[in-house]
Amino acid sequence: MKKRNIFLLGLLIIGFSSCKKFLDIKPSNSGDSDLAIQTPADAQVMVNGIMRSMTSSDYYGRNFLMYGDAKGGDFTIFSQGRGLDNLYTFNHSATTGSYVGFWSQIYFSILQTNNLLENIAKLETAGATGFSALKGQALTARAMMYFDLVRLYGKSYDDNKASFGVPIVLTKLSSDAQPLRATVEENYTQILKDLNDATSLLAKTKTKGYINYYANLAMKARVYLYMKDNVNALKNAEDIINAAGVYTLYSNANWVNSWATEAGSESIFELGVVPLENDLTTSSLGFYHRRKAHGGSTALGWFGASDYFLARLGQDPTDVRWGVMSFDETSSSRMGSLYKYSGSTALVGDGKATPTAVNIKVIRLSEIYLIAAEASLVSNPGQAVIYLNAIRKRSPNLAPATTSTISIDMILDERSKELYGEGHRFFDMMRLNKSIEYNDELGSIPATNRTKTINRSFNKTRLPIAQSEINANPGLKAQQNEGY
Amino acid sequence: MNRKFILILFGLLLFATFSFAQKMIKGKVTDGADGSGIPGVSVMLKGVNGVGASTQPDGSYAINVPSNGTTLIFSYLGYITKEVMIANKTEINVILESDELSLNEVMVVAYGTVKKSSYTGSAVSVKLDNDLPKTSFENALSGKVPGVQVTQSSGQAGSTSSIRIRGIGSMNASNEPLYVIDGVPVVSGNAGQISDYTYATNNVMNTINPSDIETITILKDAAASSLYGSRAANGVVIITTKKGKVGKPTISVKSSVGLTPSWATDNYEAASTQENTNMLYRVFHDLNTGAGKSDAVANTDALRRLNGKFNKHGYNFSTSGTGLSENVIITGLTDGMENRDGIYFDWEDALFRTAVYQTNDIAVSGGNENTTYYSSLSYTKDQSRVKVNEFDRISGRIKIGQKVGKFVEFDTNVNFARTGQSGYNDTRITGSNYYYQSRNLLWGFYWPTDYKSGQPFTSRYGSLAQNSVYYDNEWENSSVTKRITANETLTVKFLPELNLKSILSYDNTQVTDDVYYSGLHFNGSATKGSVNALTTNINKLVSSTTLNFNKTFNKHTIGLLGGFEAEENKTDFQRSTGTDLPSSALHTVSTAGVTNATAYFWGNSIVSLLSRAEYDYGQKYFASASFRRDGSSRLDPRVRWGNFWSVAGAWKITGEDFMKDANTISNLRLRASYGTNGTTPSANFGWRSLTGYGAKYLSQAGGSITQIADPNLTWETNYSTNIALEFGLFKNRLTGSVEYFNRDSKDLLQDVPTSMVTGFSSTLKNIGEMNNRGIELDLGGDIIVNNGWRWSASANASFIKSKITKLSEGKDIIWYDPTGGDARAKYIYKEGQPTYSFYGIEWAGVNPADGKNVWYKNGAPAAALDFEYNGRPATGNFKNVDPIILGDASPKVYGGLNTDVEYKGISLGLNFTYKIGGKIYDGAFKDVADDGYYWERIRAKEYNDNMWTPERTTGSLPRLSGFDLEDAIQYSSRQMHDASFMRLKNVTLAYRIPKQIISKVGASNARVYFNGSNLLTVSKYKIADPEVNSYGTRGWETPFGKTYTFGLEFSF
Repeated sequence: MKKRNIFLLGLLIIGFSSCKKFLDIKPSNSGDSDLAIQTPADAQVMVNGIMRSMTSSDYYGRNFLMYGDAKGGDFTIFSQGRGLDNLYTFNHSATTGSYVGFWSQIYFSILQTNNLLENIAKLETAGATGFSALKGQALTARAMMYFDLVRLYGKSYDDNKASFGVPIVLTKLSSDAQPLRATVEENYTQILKDLNDATSLLAKTKTKGYINYYANLAMKARVYLYMKDNVNALKNAEDIINAAGVYTLYSNANWVNSWATEAGSESIFELGVVPLENDLTTSSLGFYHRRKAHGGSTALGWFGASDYFLARLGQDPTDVRWGVMSFDETSSSRMGSLYKYSGSTALVGDGKATPTAVNIKVIRLSEIYLIAAEASLVSNPGQAVIYLNAIRKRSPNLAPATTSTISIDMILDERSKELYGEGHRFFDMMRLNKSIEYNDELGSIPATNRTKTINRSFNKTRLPIAQSEINANPGLKAQQNEGY
Repeated sequence: MNRKFILILFGLLLFATFSFAQKMIKGKVTDGADGSGIPGVSVMLKGVNGVGASTQPDGSYAINVPSNGTTLIFSYLGYITKEVMIANKTEINVILESDELSLNEVMVVAYGTVKKSSYTGSAVSVKLDNDLPKTSFENALSGKVPGVQVTQSSGQAGSTSSIRIRGIGSMNASNEPLYVIDGVPVVSGNAGQISDYTYATNNVMNTINPSDIETITILKDAAASSLYGSRAANGVVIITTKKGKVGKPTISVKSSVGLTPSWATDNYEAASTQENTNMLYRVFHDLNTGAGKSDAVANTDALRRLNGKFNKHGYNFSTSGTGLSENVIITGLTDGMENRDGIYFDWEDALFRTAVYQTNDIAVSGGNENTTYYSSLSYTKDQSRVKVNEFDRISGRIKIGQKVGKFVEFDTNVNFARTGQSGYNDTRITGSNYYYQSRNLLWGFYWPTDYKSGQPFTSRYGSLAQNSVYYDNEWENSSVTKRITANETLTVKFLPELNLKSILSYDNTQVTDDVYYSGLHFNGSATKGSVNALTTNINKLVSSTTLNFNKTFNKHTIGLLGGFEAEENKTDFQRSTGTDLPSSALHTVSTAGVTNATAYFWGNSIVSLLSRAEYDYGQKYFASASFRRDGSSRLDPRVRWGNFWSVAGAWKITGEDFMKDANTISNLRLRASYGTNGTTPSANFGWRSLTGYGAKYLSQAGGSITQIADPNLTWETNYSTNIALEFGLFKNRLTGSVEYFNRDSKDLLQDVPTSMVTGFSSTLKNIGEMNNRGIELDLGGDIIVNNGWRWSASANASFIKSKITKLSEGKDIIWYDPTGGDARAKYIYKEGQPTYSFYGIEWAGVNPADGKNVWYKNGAPAAALDFEYNGRPATGNFKNVDPIILGDASPKVYGGLNTDVEYKGISLGLNFTYKIGGKIYDGAFKDVADDGYYWERIRAKEYNDNMWTPERTTGSLPRLSGFDLEDAIQYSSRQMHDASFMRLKNVTLAYRIPKQIISKVGASNARVYFNGSNLLTVSKYKIADPEVNSYGTRGWETPFGKTYTFGLEFSF
């Protein structure tokens, strides 16, 4: 009896003494956030995470670029209901079609940059070094994210910079924070501050898939152009153009093939897409642009070129840029399907195992030339002609621009042809206060939420703040974009 | 050796013969129910091995016993073993009572067994009806136990039902009860990870063979369940498996086959191809006239579009007039290999079949005083109505009880099971849900072959459906679960009053999932084929030791229990993925050109102390109390420990002197309890702020913050009150109970929405409160017991109300149906409102003037074109209305009606379940009653026959428009319906072949039966099956069928 009792007691004691350890079970695929960043190698891992988050389908992976194109008039849809067609028809409201994914995904990405920057600051205060380039990348990425947000939700800088932009958050917030919107001007101030802080930290070497010194300059050129600060836009653009031997324009002969390769000579910043990682396969940008049922019966033929774009590119039937176009579902002669994101019209991809795992070209040298042309148009038309013709020569049969023929519309047309499908057209039309006409006739689209032609006075050129965000952050109710 | 043995035996016999005088005892063993003799009953002399006999076909027996023998033991499977003193008798007649009555007496509860009449908690013990053609046991509980709602949401093979005990206990954490098998808490629910790929799941409960189950006890109140502490807030389901009984080996064999040739109800039956063509014509016509074009232009355009869509399938369209309501003339094209004029493809026939369900069980059991054993092997195969969907299970169990010496007893219980499931998909996926396709996507114009070439049609159809006939060969999904459970129980009886019980249990479930798409399949074409192989390995280790003390002195009975329990759960997960497959013959990752893998593990652990005290005085006054302290790894060390307790009492009123003369009332007992129990957060690491590394970039590791946590995360706690009155009338011929409960759930975990500017859209906090209260009624009795007739009936009803009482800062939370992955219904959590409140805009009906939808304003600001409808402010624009709470998904009352008639071995049992009140939200009907132009899809007959047209201005459904859908893309009350229904869940006709006949073939028991499932359904909602999931929603889950099962069962 006694022996048994002792045995029992022993059992209980063993049980309790090991209790603490027994109850300490840690996850195996995640670590404690407070301990995750200690060394530059750790910080590099977080930078990878930031770049990856930018390739989300809600961001550069698809929807953000689609946003800039679907609404820009160069694209149209063949039928409703295939997906993302609400972007084209402007069927937006705070409750349905708010495309809240932009808001949530970009702020999620901003959280990642804030977290990294805060940790680096802490480590640097404690004397650690080796973080400069990583910090520069995080700052530049954060600037890009705010730039994208303010373009989605705010008015153009020259339209009304005192109107609402987006909330500015520079630290890791607690879950009960309810930040309110800053003005468009405050957003741009912050964007420039981050970009300027980053410039000197970044390396000048090219690293595929990451931000370097020139990507930072390119972003600055873009941002200043949007702000109508032509002097600074031009300065930053020329710093890239004149940097000896770093980036070169594609020749007419290799322009088409450049889409079938990663990290070409023009590529200043591109996001990497790898199969089984962030390759969106049948819901990739490549699928959204290609012809219906091409390369799989799930290709629905989402978006195609409008008659207006085809007419513009058709000014020169020998334009090299026809090389990434192929026929669409309406007929075998209407070259309305774009194949930039499939590598080629034969779906070769850009050298990876799947033709949908194609890197996203975020900024390339052609755009910088066109920025330089636009920024110098008034101050130095002779120089503007040189910059524009460097791109315009891709239409061999068109007469080169001269100081007497060059105009903002000519530059804008060149941007349309060159940057087609790269997410620029709508934003260009907004910042330059142009009207956009939609080719609804092609698919007999009964667009009831907008007129056939719109301009930036139309309230739906800015997305609504989603109702779910307003529910969680009621102060935004009074700051909702007008008309929603 | 042999000779030695014979010598010894001979010597023993001599010894036996000469030591004691022998005497002969005769008698007859009869069945307490019908008075017939029972053959094959084992008659043994107590304490002496080797002396025994068994009864003849008529139940008579004769046995020689030594004169010093004192007691005879009569035992037989299914009956209560009886011991009879011999004394001077030479004739002993025995009546054996069926075992069912004994189960009513003693039932298995938390950490032990209890006499029902002295139990202070609320628990119900159920013996399973194994005649049902079901792979899992839950369905046998349907309509049987008050307060327990069993809902099945899918008719696909391998689907399991969910059990809700006394309402809804949680918003974010689990609503599932805790399952305890043979004293050990077990893994339940979905075990594999394939749901990430197909939205389908398999349930680990399927590994249990229902035939192995002896009883199921449901613990409902705190007094019954709080001994299970932090996991028992949603009640406990205790499963006790069969064990061997002392007696000769019994071999029982059971075999059945079930056929399901049809569905149980109509399910959105599609309109005919002609009707659908006319409707689509109407859409295109309206699209034009709506834009101001003439009838002639509209007619030309509509026909152009029809021809554009269906010429490729071999059909041509024309009309005689140009109006909106033309009957479209369909003709076949003659330029191909086939002329399809007048014929349409029958997809119903191509995708569905008569389901076949088969099960075969064999079990061997028996034992002597020291050793008992039970072993079984079972094979079940279920081929569902969907042609690619199958389930099978093979399971075996061995249970051995061995006494060692006087004090020690070992029980070993080993179970092995393998279940396989393939081809399942219950969600709104256009490519592989055949039920959805057949109702909404597949036109009769679509054929598996191209009419021109006769080759397979491989493009996507215009409705986005895919040609399943062709693609069925290009994909596979399967899930195999292998489970092995080993329990070792040691019982040491130190004293008659004191024993120690220690259980060590190891439960390993391994789920292997495979998803394959060939390069020809639409899901594999972008990656040149893909294959995913997933392995989830769940290890559960439980150690539980309890010390029991029970003593009766004078009129006092005391029971004490103390114990210690530790449990560790660890799940290892591996996934490997391959794309770029070289050969359609090889479906493995190893051959793939591009591969990718992950492997990691997660887990949790719990340590507990538990104790209970019970006391009764003279079987009249009862009291009990329990206390449990749990520590969980799922919480921060500072808040890791929680206490759970209960107190309860009962009073047997009929035990009092003043009730002695009340002849009609044979039993009256009042009991009450109060106590707490909890629910742990579902997430293993919810309290930790984490950086994850799933964000690989350019083939390098990538990190991101994945969770900003609240470190104060803690248990959800339930405070439950229970008051019950049990009664028995007319010598307990009529028995029943009335039970009231109130369950306040506090500190409920809630995904509190956060500003997305923080990077996340919600954070988990203990913030909400909820209340469930209700009354449960149970009444049963024997209506006729006479001349071999026995007619018994029972009914139960549960009136349960569930509502939200507190939310974070009082803020409403809008949420969507989590089932099916298609957010088919919208709900709101709002203080003071029912928990499952449908939320959306209120559909008023159809405007008879123009056939358009009308919605009530419900307080929205007045806008242009508002009007009055049924005397209320209304509008034809859904954007100008405010959403309201539309209805409650929970029924007002639910329960079951059961009746059994038995006469001379023939029995007929009927089992009805019913649900009254509550709403269904039908997320599927909106797909087949599109009132606008969305896509080239087919519509239901119901819509065709009831839509408003200029000729039918009384139509109850809106006119078909050529423009955007309006109501269908909103969450509106148009899709909400009364959920009341009553269903004849099962009818069982069985015949027990008389023992006299079967004993001639050596059998001791034989039974043939027929079971019909879902044969009759009466419902208010007639468009589809009214039996839906616990959220009250219907989507594109495979419906239930009418199943006819024939079975045969015999034992030797």
